[in-house]
Amino acid sequence: MPSTVKDKTVKSVAKRKRSENGEPIKKRKKLEAGEEKEDLAAQIQKLESQINESKKHYNNIATLIEYAEKQDEDPKTAIAAAEALCRVFVRLLASGSLVKKKDASEKDATVAKWLRDRLTDHHKALVAMFKSTKLATRALVLAMALLKAEAPYLEGKDEAVFPWPLFNAIISALLTSPVEEVRDEFCDKFIDEYDDLRFYAFEGIKDFLTERQSVDQELQNTVFDFLLKMEHVPESSEDLEDFYIEQPSKKKHPLRSLSQHKKRAQEAWLALFNLGLSKEQRKKVLDVMASSIAPWFIKPELLMDFLTDCYNTGGSISLLALSGVFYLIQERNLDYPSFYQKLYSLLDTDILHSKYRSRFFRLLDTFLGSSHLPAVLVASFIKRLARLALNAPPSAIVVIVPWFYNLFKKHPLTTFMMHRVPRTKEEKDLIETEGVLDPFLPDEQDPMETHAIDSCLWEIVQLQSHYHPNVATIAKIISEQFTKQFYNLEDFLDHSYGSLIDAEMLKEVKKAPVIEFMIPKHIFTKADAGTEQTDSPLVSLWDFGSS
Amino acid sequence: MAGSQLKRLKASLKDQGIIGPQKSKKQKRQTAQDAKASTDKRLQRHEALASIREQFNPFQFKTNARGPKFEVTTNKPQNDKLAKGIQGRPGLAKATAEQRRKETLLVEMQRRNKVGGIVDRRFGEDDPNMTLEDKMMERFAREQMKSHKKNTVFDLEGSDDESAPVTLTHAGKTLFDDDDIEAGRDDFDENISDMESDDERSARKKFLKRLRAEEEAAEGEGEDGQPERKKTKKEVMEEVIAKSKAFKYERQAAKDEDEDLRVELDKELPQLQSLLFQMKPKEAKESKGPATVAGIDLEQLEKEYNMRLKQAAREARAEVTDRTKTEEERAEEGVKRLKEMEEKRLRRMRGEVVSDDEEEEEQKKGKKKGDDQEAQDEAEEDEFGLGKGIKLRMTATEMGLDDEDDFLLEDDLIASGSELDMDDDDMSDIDGSDDEDAYDPDEDELVNGGEDGESEEVATKLHAQSKGGDEDGIPYTFPCPESHEQLLEILGGLPVVKLPVAVQRIRALYHPKLNEKNKERLGNFTQALIEHITYLGDKFEPTWFPAIENLIRHVHSLAKTFFAIEVSKAYRARLEEIKEERPLALTVGDLVLLTAIGTTYPTSDHFHQVVTPAMLSITRYLGQKIPQTLADYSIGVYLSILALQYQSFSKRYVPEFINFCLNTLCSLAVEKPKEKLGLFPVHEPAAGIRIKGASKVTVRKLNCGDCQQPKNAPSASEESAQKVAIISTITSVLKTASETWCKLPAFYETFQPAQRVLQHLTSKSNAAQLPAALVKQLKDTTTNISRLLQLAQVSRRPLELHHHKPLAIKTYVPKFEDSFDPNKHYDPDRERAEMAKLRAEHKKERKGALRELRKDAAFMQRENLKVKKANDEAYEKKYKRLVAEIQGSEGQASNEYAREKAARLKKNKTGNKW
Repeated sequence: MPSTVKDKTVKSVAKRKRSENGEPIKKRKKLEAGEEKEDLAAQIQKLESQINESKKHYNNIATLIEYAEKQDEDPKTAIAAAEALCRVFVRLLASGSLVKKKDASEKDATVAKWLRDRLTDHHKALVAMFKSTKLATRALVLAMALLKAEAPYLEGKDEAVFPWPLFNAIISALLTSPVEEVRDEFCDKFIDEYDDLRFYAFEGIKDFLTERQSVDQELQNTVFDFLLKMEHVPESSEDLEDFYIEQPSKKKHPLRSLSQHKKRAQEAWLALFNLGLSKEQRKKVLDVMASSIAPWFIKPELLMDFLTDCYNTGGSISLLALSGVFYLIQERNLDYPSFYQKLYSLLDTDILHSKYRSRFFRLLDTFLGSSHLPAVLVASFIKRLARLALNAPPSAIVVIVPWFYNLFKKHPLTTFMMHRVPRTKEEKDLIETEGVLDPFLPDEQDPMETHAIDSCLWEIVQLQSHYHPNVATIAKIISEQFTKQFYNLEDFLDHSYGSLIDAEMLKEVKKAPVIEFMIPKHIFTKADAGTEQTDSPLVSLWDFGSS
Repeated sequence: MAGSQLKRLKASLKDQGIIGPQKSKKQKRQTAQDAKASTDKRLQRHEALASIREQFNPFQFKTNARGPKFEVTTNKPQNDKLAKGIQGRPGLAKATAEQRRKETLLVEMQRRNKVGGIVDRRFGEDDPNMTLEDKMMERFAREQMKSHKKNTVFDLEGSDDESAPVTLTHAGKTLFDDDDIEAGRDDFDENISDMESDDERSARKKFLKRLRAEEEAAEGEGEDGQPERKKTKKEVMEEVIAKSKAFKYERQAAKDEDEDLRVELDKELPQLQSLLFQMKPKEAKESKGPATVAGIDLEQLEKEYNMRLKQAAREARAEVTDRTKTEEERAEEGVKRLKEMEEKRLRRMRGEVVSDDEEEEEQKKGKKKGDDQEAQDEAEEDEFGLGKGIKLRMTATEMGLDDEDDFLLEDDLIASGSELDMDDDDMSDIDGSDDEDAYDPDEDELVNGGEDGESEEVATKLHAQSKGGDEDGIPYTFPCPESHEQLLEILGGLPVVKLPVAVQRIRALYHPKLNEKNKERLGNFTQALIEHITYLGDKFEPTWFPAIENLIRHVHSLAKTFFAIEVSKAYRARLEEIKEERPLALTVGDLVLLTAIGTTYPTSDHFHQVVTPAMLSITRYLGQKIPQTLADYSIGVYLSILALQYQSFSKRYVPEFINFCLNTLCSLAVEKPKEKLGLFPVHEPAAGIRIKGASKVTVRKLNCGDCQQPKNAPSASEESAQKVAIISTITSVLKTASETWCKLPAFYETFQPAQRVLQHLTSKSNAAQLPAALVKQLKDTTTNISRLLQLAQVSRRPLELHHHKPLAIKTYVPKFEDSFDPNKHYDPDRERAEMAKLRAEHKKERKGALRELRKDAAFMQRENLKVKKANDEAYEKKYKRLVAEIQGSEGQASNEYAREKAARLKKNKTGNKW
C-alpha cells in the first residue's frame, strides 16, 4: 500500500474524505460490472476536478493512487487514475505546492511533505505498470511527462534540477521489465530524440549496474541490447541541442559537452564489461565493437584489457577481437608483444572452416601487407596455410592461393618455396637417394623459427589436382609465370559450397555432355565369379544385398 | 621554232591534223561513212586542241623550277613538263575559285539587306552540275511518278489496265510481238518446239544471227537518218544489258524445252521396259512349254519373278564391302577404338579442349606442348594412367567378345564408334536387335522371333500381341509415360524387379525411328525414369538393386543414343533439388542417383557439366555435415566410397574425403585422442556414438538400411555392429585412397594424420574394445600406409616449378626501320601519334580556312570596287551629260542673243540709215 499515511492530520483528512466519498464505493458494489467501470471513470474525473477546485480535496490523491495501484485487477481504471494523477501533479508542481517555502506555515509544510510522499507513491505505481504488457507504453509516456514537469518545479530553484529519483526508477523498471516494446519505445521516442535524456540514461545505467553486486544473464543481455540501441553518436558539441528538459544556461555544463556525453557512455559500457561477460556475449560485443561501441569511447585504451583478454582466449573470439586489437596497435600505440606469433597461432584447424574466414582473411591481408616483414615470417604463414589447405573446403583454397601469389610478389625471397634447385652435386645425390624431409616444423609456435622458408609448397602442387576444376586451375597459378601484378582478393572471398554449385548449375546444358563410352556391366551387383573383371570399390565395400 | 605566236599556232594545228588541205568530196563521204573512225577522230581532235592550248600558255602550270630532285627511271614518256613535274594549275584553280565565289558569295552579297524574294524550288535549279537536258528529264520523270498511283516502275501486277505495261524491249521494240502473245507462245517456242533436239542449237544460232543482223540494220538506219547523233554511254549500256537479258531468257526457254522432252521420254520408258523384259519370259515359256513348273502356276511364278526383279532393281546396288573381319581383327579394331577413346578421356582429364574427331586430330598435331612441367606431367600420366586404364578395359572387351548376347559389347562398341551424332543407319543397328536381346536373355523368344532385329518388326509384333502379357504378366504394350506421375501410374503395378523388362519394351515400342514424336516421348520418359530411380532408391528393398542397376544402364544407353542432353538435364535437375532441399540430409535415393551419375559419365574429366556439380554435392555433405547419428555416418561413408570411385581414374585429391574419414574414426574411437592428430577438423561426437565393448561383434559390411534412421531404436549390439562396420569400411577406403593418391606430392602430409588416427585406434585402450578381426585390419592398413608414407618421403623432390623462359623487358628503344621516311611519324606511343596527326590536320585546315577567308575578303573588296566603279562611272556619265546639256542650251541661248543683238544692230544701222 503506497498510502501508508502516517501523519495524523493527513489521516484524519483522509478519513473525512473517504467518508465523503463513501457513497460511490457503496454504489460500486451494487452496480453491474460495465456500469461500474463507466462510473469509475466518471468518479476519477470527479475526484480530479475536486482536487483542482480546492486544497480540501487533496485526499482524493490518495484514492486515485489506490486506483492506480490496482493495475492487475483493473488496468483501465488504473491507467485512467494514473493519467488523472499526472495531470494533478503537473498542476500542483506548476503552482509550487510541493515546494517547501521558507516562510510557509507549519501546516503548509506538512501538506507539501505529504504531497511529496504521494508523488513518490505515484512514481512507484507508475513504474510498477512497466511490468504489464498493456499499460507499459502509456505508463512510460506518463512517467516521462511527469519527469518533465518535476524538473523545473520540484526543488523550487530557478534552474531546473534533474529529478534523479524518478529517472532512476524509470531506468531500473525499464531494464527489469519483461516488456521489450517499452524499451524500444523509450529509445525511439526519448533517447534518440533528446540528448540530455541519453546522457542521463547512460549514467542511470551505470548506477544501476554498479549498485548491484550480481547481475543475472538475462538482465545482462537486456542491458546489452539496450545500450546497443543507443547508437546515435553526436558528431560535435554543437549538435547537442535537443533537450527534453530546459536547456542549462551555463556554457560549461556537462550536458553541453560531447566529451562528457561520451564519458557517460563509456562508463556505462565499462560497467557492463566489468560484470564479466559470457562467451556468447563476448562474441556479440566483439561483433558490434567497431560499429556501435567504439565510437562512444573517448579513450579506446580502456577497451585494451577487454580486447586483449578476448584475443588471448583463442578460437573465434580471437578472430573477432583481432580487428579491435589491430586498431589499438595502429592508432593508440598499444604494445602487443608478439602480435604475429599470436596471429600465427590463430591459424589452426578451424580457421579455414570458420564462418569468419573471409573477415579473417581481409585482416590477415592487412597484417601481412607490409613489404618490410621478414620473409621468414611470411614463409611460415604461407606454409602453415598451405598445410591447412590440404584439409580445407574449396572455397577456402580459392582464397589462399591468390593470396600466396600476392605474397610471393611482395616477398621474392619466399619464392624459393616454389622453386628450389639443389646447388651442389652432393646435395643432388643426397636428394636422389634419400628424398626430402620437409624441414618445416608444424608445431613450432614462433613463426620466425619454423624453417618454412626452407620448405616447398608440395601441398599447393597437390591441390593442382583438386577435384574441383576451378580450384585446380587457381592452384596452377603458382607454377605459371608471375606476369600478373596481383590478384584482387575480394574476387575470391565469400565463396561457399552452395555458391560453387550454383555457379555450375547456372551454366546451361547446350552441348551434349560427354558420356562414358562403356556401359558398366555391374553397378550394384557383384561381377560374375570367374571373370577377370574387378569390382568397383563401392560393390566390394558396400552390401547392397541386405538392409 | 621561230616565227610569231600565230605562225606557231598554225603550224602546230597542221601538225596535229586539225587543219589541213581541203578534202575532196569523195574523201569526205568516206570519212562520214566510217562512223567509228569519225568518233575516234573527234575525240583525238579534242585532245589535240587541249594540248595545244596548254602548250601555248606557259603560266598555266606550276612546276618545279629546278627540275626533279632525283633522277628517276620510269616507263612514262619524259617530256619537259612531266620531267619537271606539274605541281598545280594556278590559273585553273584561280578560275574555279573565282567562279565558285561568284556563285555563292556574290549572290549572298547581292542578297544582303534585302528581304523577300522567290525561292526557286524546281528540281535541279540550283544544281550547276546538271545539264539542262538532265534537269528536264528528271522533272518529267518526277511528274510522271507523281501521277502514277503505284509509284514503282517495277510493279508488274495491276499496272496492265491503267497504263502501258512495262515490257522488255530491245532497241525500242518489244521483245515479243503482240501476235505471239495472243497465240500464247513466244517466238522461241515457235522456232524450237517442232525441231529435233539436234537441230535445235543450229536453229537457235540462226535465229540469233538474224536478230543481230536486224539490229545492225536498224542501227545503220539510225545513223544514216541522223548522222550527228551519237549514242550516249548510258544508252549503250542499256542496250548491252537488254541484250544479255534476252539471251538469258532464250537459254532458259531452251532448257525448259529439253526438260519437257525428257519427261515425255520418261513416260514412255515403262512401255519400253516391258517390251524389253517381255522378251525373255516369253522365250522361257516357249522352251518349257507347259503352263506349270514344278507344280506352280506359271503365271504366278512369273508374277513372283517380276516382283523379285523389281525388288532387286529397287535395292541399292551392292557395293564392294570390306572383307568380313576375323575375330582377331575385330578385337584389334575394338582395342584401337578404345585406345582412341582413352586418349580422348585423358585429354579431357587434363582439361584440354576436346572437339570432334578430325578437327581434334589436327589440333593435337598443332598443339604446342606447354612448358616442361606439363610435358613431364603428361609423360607421367601416360606412364601410370594410360597403360593401366587400357589394360583394364581390354579385358572387359575381350570378355564382351566372348559373349554375344552381352549388353555391354554391342551397344558399346557401335555406339561409341559413332559418337553421339551418328547416322540413322548406325542407330538402327544398335538398338534394333542388339540392345534388345542383350537386355534380357530371359525374354529371348520375343526378340528372337524378330529375326534380324528390325526394330519395326519387333514393334509390329508387339502391337500384334497387344494387351496380352507374357508369363510374368507384363503386358507387351505400354503407353509411353512422359512424367514421373504417369510412370508411377503405368508401371506402378509391376513388381520392381520386372521393371527393366517393361522399360525395354517401352524403348522398343517408342523407338525414335518409328515415329517422329517418339523422340520427344522417349526423351520425357528418360527424364521420368531418372526421377524414378531416385524414387526407387528412397523406397529401396535389397532385392531391387539388380533392377535399379538395370534401369541405370538403360538410362546410360538412352543417353548414348539420342538423349544425352535430356539425361544430363534430368540429372542436373535432381542435383539442383538436392542442393535446394537437402544438401546435408541426403537420402538413399540421392546416393543411388550420385552412383548412377558416376557410372554414366566419365568422372575423370577436368570439367563435366553433370559430374562437377555431383562431386560438389558429395563433398558438400562430407565437408559440412556434422554427423549426429549413425545413419549420418553411414551416408558419409557411402559418399566417401563414391568420391573415391569418382576419382579412381583421374586420381584427383578430395580434401573432404580425408576430413570425413579421419573425423569419423576419431568420433567412433573408444577414447578421444589426447592430442591433436592432424589438421583435419574434429567434431565432438554426439552422445552414444563412441564405440564401447564391441569386441565380440562380427565385422559386417554396411548396407543401405544403415543410411536410414531406424524406425525403432536398435539394440546395443546392432548399433555396435554398425559402428564396427563403419570403422572397417573407412579403414578399407583409406587403404584404397592411400593407394590411389600415393603419387601426390603432399601424400606424406595428407596421410600422416591417417596413420596417426589408425595408430590411435589400435592403441591398447581402444583395441581392447574392438573385435580382433577389425584390429587386424586396422593394423594391416596402418602398416600399409606407413610403407607408402616412407616411399613417398623417399621419392619426394624439391619443387622446381619455375623453369620458365625469362620474360623480355618491354622497351622503347627506337626500332630500326628498313624504309625510313622522314615525313612519316614513328611514334611508338599510339595515342601521342594520333594526337600529333590530329594537330597537324587541324593546323592545315586552319591555314586553309584563313586563306579562304582572305580570298573571300579580297573578292568582296573587288566586287565592291567594281560596283563602286560602275556607280561612279554612271554618275560621271550623267554629270557629263547634264553639263553638256546645260552647256548646249547655254550655247544656244548665247547664240540666240548674239543673233538678236546682231539683228538689232543691223536694224539700228538701217534705222539710222533711214
